[in-house]
Amino acid sequence: MSMDKPVRRVAIFALLLFFGLMAQVNYVQGSQAEDLRTDSNNARQYADVFNSPRGQISAGGEVLVTSTETGKDNPKYGRTYKDGPVFAPITGYFNGNATQLERAYNSLLGGKDKRITQQHWFDTFIGKKADGANLELTIDPDAQRTAYEQLKAKTQQGRRGGAVVIDVKTGAIKVAASWPSFDPNEVAPQTGEKGAKRLEELNKGSGVLRPLVDNALSQTFPPGSSFKAVTSAIAMERDGLNSSTTVNTGQLILPESGKALPNSHDSGSCAGTATLKNAFAESCNTTFGKMALDMGIQQLHDGSTKFGFGERVKLEPDMFAAKSEVPVSYTDAEGKTVPTGKDGTARSGIGQENVRATPLQMALVAAAIANKGKIMNPYVVQKVRAKDQSELQNASPKELGTAMSEDHAEQLADMMRAVVASGTATNLRGQRVAGKTGTAEQDPASGLPNSRWFVGFSPVENPRYAFAVATEGPGDGAANAGPIAAAIMAKVLKK
Amino acid sequence: MQSIGDQIRARLPYQRRNAASFALLIFAMVLTLSAFAEVGLARDGMIPGGLVVYGGGLAVLAFIAYFVQLRFTPYADPLLLPLAVALNGLGLAMIYRLDLDTSADRKIALAAGKEILKDAADAPNQLMWTFVGIGLFVAAVLIMRDTDKTDAPLSFTPKTAQRYTYLIGLSALMLLMLPIVPGIGAEINGARVWIRVGGFSVQPGEFAKLLLVVFFAGYLVNKRQAMSLIGKKVGPLSLPRARDLGPIMVIWFFCLGVLFMQKDLGTALLFFGLFVSMLYIATQRVSWVFIGIGLLAMGVFVATLLPFMGHVNQRIDIWQNPKPYFDGGCLLESGKVVPVNPNTEIYKKFDAQDAISPGASACAELGGTYADSAQLMKGLYALGQGGVLGTGLGQGEPWRTPLSFSDFIFDSMGEELGLTGLMALLLIYALIVQRGMKTAVAARDPFLKLFAGGVSFVLALQVFVIVGGVTKLIPLTGLTTPFLSQGGSSLMANWILIAILVRMSHDARKPAPQAIQDEGMTQIVSTR
Repeated sequence: MSMDKPVRRVAIFALLLFFGLMAQVNYVQGSQAEDLRTDSNNARQYADVFNSPRGQISAGGEVLVTSTETGKDNPKYGRTYKDGPVFAPITGYFNGNATQLERAYNSLLGGKDKRITQQHWFDTFIGKKADGANLELTIDPDAQRTAYEQLKAKTQQGRRGGAVVIDVKTGAIKVAASWPSFDPNEVAPQTGEKGAKRLEELNKGSGVLRPLVDNALSQTFPPGSSFKAVTSAIAMERDGLNSSTTVNTGQLILPESGKALPNSHDSGSCAGTATLKNAFAESCNTTFGKMALDMGIQQLHDGSTKFGFGERVKLEPDMFAAKSEVPVSYTDAEGKTVPTGKDGTARSGIGQENVRATPLQMALVAAAIANKGKIMNPYVVQKVRAKDQSELQNASPKELGTAMSEDHAEQLADMMRAVVASGTATNLRGQRVAGKTGTAEQDPASGLPNSRWFVGFSPVENPRYAFAVATEGPGDGAANAGPIAAAIMAKVLKK
Repeated sequence: MQSIGDQIRARLPYQRRNAASFALLIFAMVLTLSAFAEVGLARDGMIPGGLVVYGGGLAVLAFIAYFVQLRFTPYADPLLLPLAVALNGLGLAMIYRLDLDTSADRKIALAAGKEILKDAADAPNQLMWTFVGIGLFVAAVLIMRDTDKTDAPLSFTPKTAQRYTYLIGLSALMLLMLPIVPGIGAEINGARVWIRVGGFSVQPGEFAKLLLVVFFAGYLVNKRQAMSLIGKKVGPLSLPRARDLGPIMVIWFFCLGVLFMQKDLGTALLFFGLFVSMLYIATQRVSWVFIGIGLLAMGVFVATLLPFMGHVNQRIDIWQNPKPYFDGGCLLESGKVVPVNPNTEIYKKFDAQDAISPGASACAELGGTYADSAQLMKGLYALGQGGVLGTGLGQGEPWRTPLSFSDFIFDSMGEELGLTGLMALLLIYALIVQRGMKTAVAARDPFLKLFAGGVSFVLALQVFVIVGGVTKLIPLTGLTTPFLSQGGSSLMANWILIAILVRMSHDARKPAPQAIQDEGMTQIVSTR
């Protein structure tokens, strides 16, 4: 009996074992490789991010962020930010971790996005790294610089300020500046441990200052009288008011405390009765306090959501602004939920109490007024191009929502023009801006300064841009936020 | 009817293929030297000094081996030696690459008085074992004589071993048991498969593997007639007699013993698979294969049910679903896996108490069995990093995988040589196995057939178990990767294996001895 046949069969079985191994190796290194490389537990990808250059970020033809070789092994590439503090609110930082656009566009900048890897599938196949894509922003770099300088100069020492400009027709953000800011160069990969320490320091901040949290998109302030634009719009939509309706501008006794809601002045239009337009221009608190009382906090809250209040406005995939709010209730010091009362409702109507808004949110309010009631979704990235200049993404403007009718928007725009022409901001006459001032008190008893606003649009006729400027310090919005807005808009309109 | 072996023998040219062997050996050396050059160029930007020491050393040894083969076994299979040299050379280059002591950067850093942790990859040691391994190959080829000289006084041939079947079986058993003996045995990396002799750690299992093949071959050659011919026929299968089942049960119990006591699923699988395949070769009865597989499956199933064998269960669970076990996972009674990695609260709690293994302590508190899939996953990440063409030798980060120089050297190869390199390595293994099988077919003696078939299959099975393990085709168990893994025992045993195949292939392929007298010329002398 020969054993040749079984030996041959065992030989074939041994071959099958090898075929099994070959198939598995092909499966793992061929089709599974990409998933393995990006597996969340895989530490290689994190160490890897410094081994290849990231894409550039540019705005207005100016390159703002680039990767540069360090000449060292680890990190092989550093990151350089031109005018770091000026553009930090938009670019964020990168040091392995990232914030803002560096985070939101991490996979495109790092060359790992499917849109790049699929285009260069052969490179991926042979294991060659795809180059990162470049971002082109909607930001106007000169205006952004002006905004930064102005905020720096006009904000009280140790306090905060922010400014936002939006193209009302598209939603493109032209300016998003913050004071204070931080220099992403100080925490970039090439700084090593020193940078890590600096980042910790920045994260801790001092006093109310949190340099890593920008004051344009990610920080809220009480909007004060600038919120009257929202209150008016809701009242017009709901109660059929118009700009020439006669409204009471005299004393308003708050129903719960029995105290009067003070006006900044009791002369002129605020002496008893006036048209809504004039009451708005001279910012009579009582008129808008009464308006809020009449509609109730729920209506005020619901109406404000049409402007984007109550949710985090999405700027880019994975990049959101902070939430602006008109709360119907709040949590007190003991952790109990307390509904906003009547007095609180009246104060909410003039942007006080617990109403909070980001400069971006108030710019959206102005944008609705300037753009016939429609709000376009704000965005910062205009185009994404691969290294070979092919376009991977081009922003297409889309609507965030309709806040009011075209007619009411026109009337509110007129009311805003009146503020500069004959109201609280006559100091800005002839500066091609119209808007609403706001001066919110933030507990003067504990020494907190005012939150000073100017929210509006430019140019005065056929508005193209909406803006909002907020700074903290003594004095009012007309004098301390208005000129900043005018300076920024002068730069924006120059283009 | 002519058997297949006869047909192959009839067609064999009985040519000496030494030129082919020499050319292939040159190619294997070029491959190895290029690998060393690439490591040096990638790491330090220059041709490394190691190229001369390691590559040169290997070249000299390989050519000595070649000349011994040329002189003493001229009809040997031409592929076996060059293939083994190529594997050994590439493995050496990989270990050289992983041993950071050999890089210029490190030498400069050490000269500057910086303290650097020693890594466990040890290229000089591996070079030494390569010397010993190839030395053993040469010695074995020299000592072993052709099987037709078996009866000559003082001659040792592959067939001599048949006389000492049971003695060899006993020594294989003893070798396997040695690591369990306290004092000599040592547990390294969680497996108790080592003994310490002098300053060296030896894995006796590697040698026991060869001895077991001899024992199985000797035993089965005697019993195969009875085992294959007598038995009841049930359907298509013919069942063996109970008394013939005895030995297979002994081996089965023995393998399970290894599994239980040494916690070494890989070795158990290897020996049992070897035995079943040799049984099949000897008896040609498929029923043995089914019985064998059935018994093994039953054994493993029982093992998963026993509470103190929880790790077998877990190995299978890790294999199917490794992610929750990354950096430590805890399999609860309910079958749920709770992560106890360093990011979890419970880990931090035990870490704060200075527990030696916070993950394991945390798992003990949760009442589950602890395991860590980080090794396997990191090995797979290495493969993923390599992709189709690999990062290039010296340009990847294989050091990120634990045991990248031993159990996971195949993954390290995969990272730097890519899918392409791994396919080449697997082809080399497959070729060695197939040449071994061919030798078995060509062999004239039944014992030698079983012997050659057995050693070839055990090599295939070992590659399958370890490579399948590190590529997640089957549950991971620790075995050495033949010729690649760092370690002397494995290199020595495998070089002896190649020597046996070389000698046997020479034996099978050489021309049959010519009759001294021609029948026609014979004078008939009448004494009448």
